[in-house]
Amino acid sequence: MKKVATLSAAIAMAVAGFTGVGFAGTANADTIKVGNIVDFTGRTAVVGKVYGQAKVDAMNWINANGGINGKMLEVDTVDYSYQVPRAIQAYKKWQSAGDYVAIQGWGTGDTEALVTFVAKDQIPYYSASYSGHLTDPQGKNPNTTKPAPYNFFYGPSYSDGVRGLIQWAAEDWKAKGGQGSPKYVHMGDNHPYPNAPKKSGEEYATELGFEVLPAIQYSLAPSDFKAQCLALKESGANYAFLANTSGSNISLMKSCDTVGVDVQFMANVWGYDENVMQAAGEAADGVVWVMGSAAWGADVPGMKKVEEISKLGDASVDYRAVHYMRGVCSVFFMAEAMKIADGMDGGVTGPNVKQAMYERQGWVPEGLEGVCLASSWTDADHRGTNKVFVYRGVTAGGANAMEEVFVAEIPRKAEWLGQ
Amino acid sequence: MATAMARPCGEFETNYRGDQRVFPSRGSAFWVVGSIVILALLPLGLPALLGAGNVALGVIASSAVMIAALYVLKIYFGVTMGNVLAIAIPGAALFAMQPDGLTPYWTDQLILIGCYGVAALGLNILVGFTGQISLGHAAFFGFGAFASAYLSNNHGIPVVLSIPLAGAMTTLVGMIVGIPAARIKGLYLAIATLASQFILFDFFNRAEWFTGGSAGSLAESFTLFGWYLGSADRYIYVVLFWVVVMYLLATNLMRSRDGRALVALRDHYLSAEIMGINLTKYRVLSFGISSFYAGIGGALYGHYLGYVSVESFDILLSIQFLGMIIIGGLGSIAGSLMGTGFMLMLPEAMETVVSVAGSMGLADTTALITALAFLKEMAIGLAIVLFLIFEPDGLAHRWQLIKAYWKLYPFSY
Repeated sequence: MKKVATLSAAIAMAVAGFTGVGFAGTANADTIKVGNIVDFTGRTAVVGKVYGQAKVDAMNWINANGGINGKMLEVDTVDYSYQVPRAIQAYKKWQSAGDYVAIQGWGTGDTEALVTFVAKDQIPYYSASYSGHLTDPQGKNPNTTKPAPYNFFYGPSYSDGVRGLIQWAAEDWKAKGGQGSPKYVHMGDNHPYPNAPKKSGEEYATELGFEVLPAIQYSLAPSDFKAQCLALKESGANYAFLANTSGSNISLMKSCDTVGVDVQFMANVWGYDENVMQAAGEAADGVVWVMGSAAWGADVPGMKKVEEISKLGDASVDYRAVHYMRGVCSVFFMAEAMKIADGMDGGVTGPNVKQAMYERQGWVPEGLEGVCLASSWTDADHRGTNKVFVYRGVTAGGANAMEEVFVAEIPRKAEWLGQ
Repeated sequence: MATAMARPCGEFETNYRGDQRVFPSRGSAFWVVGSIVILALLPLGLPALLGAGNVALGVIASSAVMIAALYVLKIYFGVTMGNVLAIAIPGAALFAMQPDGLTPYWTDQLILIGCYGVAALGLNILVGFTGQISLGHAAFFGFGAFASAYLSNNHGIPVVLSIPLAGAMTTLVGMIVGIPAARIKGLYLAIATLASQFILFDFFNRAEWFTGGSAGSLAESFTLFGWYLGSADRYIYVVLFWVVVMYLLATNLMRSRDGRALVALRDHYLSAEIMGINLTKYRVLSFGISSFYAGIGGALYGHYLGYVSVESFDILLSIQFLGMIIIGGLGSIAGSLMGTGFMLMLPEAMETVVSVAGSMGLADTTALITALAFLKEMAIGLAIVLFLIFEPDGLAHRWQLIKAYWKLYPFSY
């Protein structure tokens, strides 16, 4: 009897599985389907949680405030734990469903892997990867390996970011009265994300008269990095670019503090935030990094909307790290384009959303003035913004402040497109 | 090690013919062929095709087609009508649930089960049949995927051929890695294979010319003489073909001289050596065969995803492969496929439960998604522990019991 019961339970479960999935797949004609890839549990989760929460909150806010001209966003959120194959599987699921209009993505590895797929399937893909490789939609630069017509991201590309930091470093070296040529070193994991700005950073540093040292590898997963710090100390570098995300950078800064490394760290846009300042304490003092939006609580008109969005997500949270704002911007650039596409022939479709991204120049989503940087995309250039804001974290003596130290305007050189 | 399921060395049937059979009985042969027929019919969406809009009619019509096919098989294999019904009823139920052909979701699941199932069988040959151990199976799986992508991208070899070629390349690598097995065994061998996992993993990360480095490489879609088979609803037949071929090969191997030598090695290597079995040869051979299976599975997987990236082939996957064969049944060929199915369906079943709970407003979805990732891993761990305690012989053994129960019904004692 027991066996029969177990067997029937198993069959019932299988039936529930079959029908349950069929049920979940039914589409509603009045919704706009959006795929959402987030990393809540992987190696980049420290920043992924903040950014992913922002995307979810922002899309909920849109739905709570009339949707896209009355059409609700139907969002499928997948936590892929920073595993490229899982992201591809999620994409395949959406692609075979056939009615997904756009995707909000996350990492460089998965975004670059999907470039040719989204181009073929004509699904605009808004990544949280700002890899320079995604900026050449037509493959105009002969060095571009894959044209990325359907890839968009909000913020300065990683390559432009590191160029801005190097410009700052060159000024800093002069201001400090440094002798000879300063030494630059790239640090990061052997992974598409940290590798993305490596070549452009090293080339630009050489161009500005830096001596470029061999890159130092440290893993994206936080661990003990004393060995790397000793290598860094040994190398005598003056400026070290940290290409990993903040979780791993916390460990690195602490390890280097222990070893006693005297070097100016410069972090990528995902490499430094309030968490780092808190967790690494004085070890994080004086680090400069790339900011891509206003900080929480900044005195700008758009901050009110961000606060509303945050409240909708979790009213008890009274502080959001810097990545939250960029997540909100990414969603709203997409939503505004969808609104424009809604008025076009054929309505909100992938190709129309892509076209709608080009309709305006130097624009900011409505209500987010001052939060998002004014951006322009054209069908030949997907470098949304080329302004790089360099900030410095101040944590010495228990302080907890971020200050703007430099603004770089990176020229839109043709040979830098897609690099 | 629980090998009560596996036939021990030296146990023979009463006649030579019995020993040389691929399937233990005509009934099991009928079941296997019948299941393949149903699996081949399912993705076609016969009910929608034949019913012309009327689903009920379509299900009846397509069930009739299926039963006709099964009936021919029944006559060929000479089995009872009960066997036909036992397989036709679930088949008809599947038609009713998926009238338009398999949904993309189930197609995807079955393809993955096929790819991983081939690789899991390879590991079962190594662990369940030869009594060796490997913690590096995922690396061979990955090697197959990269090798096939490399061959078709850089040397213009069509995917049809690059898959078996990748299997052959992986065999070579597996045999090199298996050399230590000639001298060491048990825990020491486990650590030696662990080393190969890490070495290959690092190789994938750095060998830009071969794997595209940390960024991975694109894998071309499957085409056969210009006929595109890359989409999931077609690729499932490619995978089905390879699953059938590879499982038949393994069954065939086990009744051959070499297969028996492997089992002898497992049961008592000293006696085996005294009987004239070359231990070194067969240990290394076993690694080679197991890697061949991993390579084929990996190549199928790579061309399905269209993109091969290094991070999927880490130590966790190696352990998952071990979990698959432990749950399925060590030393059981059919068990390898059952274990793979179980392992891959378990997290998905949990995801369904959670999404249903979320859609009914029982829980906050964001928190659930976060919790789910951990629950998935925990569920796999829990399943392995529970199986080791309650069903050490795996799903294959449970399946035997169910079959026996129905065969002897209602006098099961």
